Amino acid sequence: MRLTSSVPVFRRRALILVFATLLLIGFSAPTHAQFLHPKIKSKETTIRTVVVFPAKVNVVRDSMKGPEGMAAESDELSARVEKTIAEVLSKQKKVATLSSPAALSVEGASQPNYTVADFQTRFDELLPKIMKKRSDVKKGRFTMGDEVLNLNLDKGTDAIVFIRGEGKKLTGGKTAFTLLVGGVPAYLRLQIGIVDARNGDVLVYADPIFGGDPTTAVDRLRKALEKGFKKLPIADAAH
Amino acid sequence: MFLKKPTSLIVAALCFCLVFISPGPCALGQKKTAPVEATPPPIREEFKFGDIDLQILEQSDLLDAKLDRDGLVLQDEAANAYVRRIGLALVPRGLELEKVSWRFRVLRDPQPNAFALPNGSIYISTGLIVLVDNESQLAAIIAHELTHVMRRHTYVQNRSNRKKFLTMNIMSAVGAYAPGGIVGAVISVVTTVAPFILMATIYGYSRDLEREADLKGVDMMISAEYSPEEMVNVMKLLDQDIEGENIRLFYNDHPALNERIKYLSTYLGARADRVTHQMELNRERAAYFKNMESVMRHNLQLSIMAGRFRSAVFNAQRLVDFHPDSENLFWLAESYRTLGPRSPQLTEKELSNSAKKEAAKKRQKRTLEEEERELLETPVGKDNWQRHQQKAEELYVRALKAENPAPAVHRGLGMLYERLGRANDAASEYEKYIELAPTAIDRERIKRRIETLRRT
Repeated sequence: MRLTSSVPVFRRRALILVFATLLLIGFSAPTHAQFLHPKIKSKETTIRTVVVFPAKVNVVRDSMKGPEGMAAESDELSARVEKTIAEVLSKQKKVATLSSPAALSVEGASQPNYTVADFQTRFDELLPKIMKKRSDVKKGRFTMGDEVLNLNLDKGTDAIVFIRGEGKKLTGGKTAFTLLVGGVPAYLRLQIGIVDARNGDVLVYADPIFGGDPTTAVDRLRKALEKGFKKLPIADAAH
Repeated sequence: MFLKKPTSLIVAALCFCLVFISPGPCALGQKKTAPVEATPPPIREEFKFGDIDLQILEQSDLLDAKLDRDGLVLQDEAANAYVRRIGLALVPRGLELEKVSWRFRVLRDPQPNAFALPNGSIYISTGLIVLVDNESQLAAIIAHELTHVMRRHTYVQNRSNRKKFLTMNIMSAVGAYAPGGIVGAVISVVTTVAPFILMATIYGYSRDLEREADLKGVDMMISAEYSPEEMVNVMKLLDQDIEGENIRLFYNDHPALNERIKYLSTYLGARADRVTHQMELNRERAAYFKNMESVMRHNLQLSIMAGRFRSAVFNAQRLVDFHPDSENLFWLAESYRTLGPRSPQLTEKELSNSAKKEAAKKRQKRTLEEEERELLETPVGKDNWQRHQQKAEELYVRALKAENPAPAVHRGLGMLYERLGRANDAASEYEKYIELAPTAIDRERIKRRIETLRRT
C-alpha cells in the first residue's frame, strides 16, 4: 500500500522540480516583443532625436511574508533604465537623446511639472489598451493626440520615450521556496512606448522581459533593451 | 517510524510551523476584528516600532517625495493651507504620536479618493474636493484618514498580513509535498482551501479597520464641532457613482458604501441632538466653494484629460450654479463639448454591477476616440452629440458675453467649429485665441491647427 502510493508522490515531486527548473531557465532568457507603426516600417517617419521621459519602474522584494516596497531601489533602477535606453538608442540606432522636460523645468515653477505629469498619466491610461492588443500598434491604432505639442519640446524632437516597468526581487527564503514549490522567479518587465512628438501617434511599443534580480542585473538589462529595439530602423540608414 | 521517512519529516516540520505561526489552522475560519467601540483616541500611545514598521515608515517618506517630484501634488498654497487648517482642527489637542508629522496635501487626481500614510501625510484628491459640498464633508474625509494614522492601521494591518502570507506559503509547501493516501488527500484539500479563507480574512480585517475609521471619524468631527451627519452625506455623494466605477468584487477592502451609510446612520442615531440647520450648511457650502473654486477648476481640466466627462459636466454645472462667471461657463462648455455622444448620466441598467464590470472591461480595450466613433453610429449617440455641441456653443457664447471673458473660450469655440467642419470659423477663433494669449502653453499646437485649416 505504502509503496504503490509513494511512487506517484515521488513522481509528482520530481515533476514539480523539473517544471520549476524549466520555468527558471525559460524565464531568465530575455524575451522581446516589439511592434512598429506602419509609418516607421515604411520609413515615412524616422526617429533621429528623442526626449526620454522619467521612467516609472517599480520593484518589490518578495519574501515568505509577502511583498515589501523598495522605493529607493525603484528610483535608482528607473534612472538606470532611462540611461541605458538612451545609450542603446544612441549606440545601436544612432538616435540622439535631448534633455528631458523634467530637466528643463524651472525650479519652483509648477506648470512644466504638471504638463509632464499629465502626459505621464495619459500614457498610463493608454498603456492597458496597448497591452490588450499590442499588435494594433502595427495598424497605427494608438495615439496621444496633438496635445503633445503643448510640451513645447525642442523643434527637432522626433519622438518621446515613455518607460514603465515592474519587477520582483526574491529574498533567500523565497528563492528556496520557489525552487522547491514553484512560483514566479525574480524578473523585470519593461513597457516602452515611443510616441511621435508632433502628432502623438504611438510609433514603437516594446516590452522586454528578463529573469534575475532587477536591481543588480545590469548586463541583462542592456541585452534585453538591445533586443527590444532590434526592429527599430537605424536613423542614419533610413535617410 | 513514520517520522523517519523524509517526506513525512518535511510535512511534519511544516505542520509544526503552521501550528506555531500566527493564525494557526484552528483560527483560519475566524475573522480577526478590529475594535470598533467608541473610545477617545489615545493622547500618548504605546505603539512599539519594529524593524518592519520602520521600513514602512521609510517607504512612506519616499512616497511623499515621489508624489511631489512627479508633479502629482497640487502646488496651490491657499488650497493646501485650507485643508491643513481643517486637519489640524480635527487632531485632538495635546496628541503626541511618535514618528508622525502631520501634512495635509491636495493630490492632482480626478478620481474621488483620499489616503493616509503612516508618517502623518494625508492626501485628498481634487476629484474628491470637487465632489463634496461643504467644509464639514471634507472634515469627515480627513477625520477618517486621521484615524488610520492615529490608530496605526497601516502598521497593524501589515503585521497581520505578513503572518497570513507566511501561513499561506507554508500551506503551499505542505500541499506540494503532501504524502499519498487519505491523509495526503485531506492535506491537499485543506491547503487548497485555506489560502482563500486567509485572503478573506485579510480583506475582512481591512474592512474592519475602515469601519473603525468611519466611526472614530464621527467622534473626531463632534469634538471639532463639525456636523457629524456630513459623514453620512459624503458617503451618499460617493455612492452616486457618476462614472459607474464602484464595482462590487468578491474581495473588497472597504465595506460597501450603502453598508457604511447604514452603520453610520445607526451610530449617529444616538446623537440626533447634533443635527445642523440647513441654512448653516448652505452658508458653509458657499464659503467652501469660494475657498476651493480654483482647485475645482483645476480638477475639471484633469477630469476631461482623463476621459471622465460625466463627472466634468456634473461638477462644472455645480460651479456654474455657484458662480456663473466666464471661466466657469467656459469649463461647463468644454465639458459638454468633450462629452460628445455620451449620455450625461448613466441609466439604472448601466449602473448595475454586471454592466459596470462590462464597461470596465471595455475601458481597458477601447480608446476614447473608438468609443466616440461607435456611439456616433447609433441614433442616441448622434442625438446626444448634436445636443451637446449645441449646448457647448451656447455656453461658449455666454462665456464670451460675461465680464472679463477668458481667452480660452475662443480656443474652445475653434475646436467645436473644427469638429463641425466649419474650417474658416474655427481658424478665426483660433487666431483670436493666439492674439489674446500669445504666451499660452498650447500656442504651437493651435498654430499648427490654423495652418492645417487654412490649407483646406
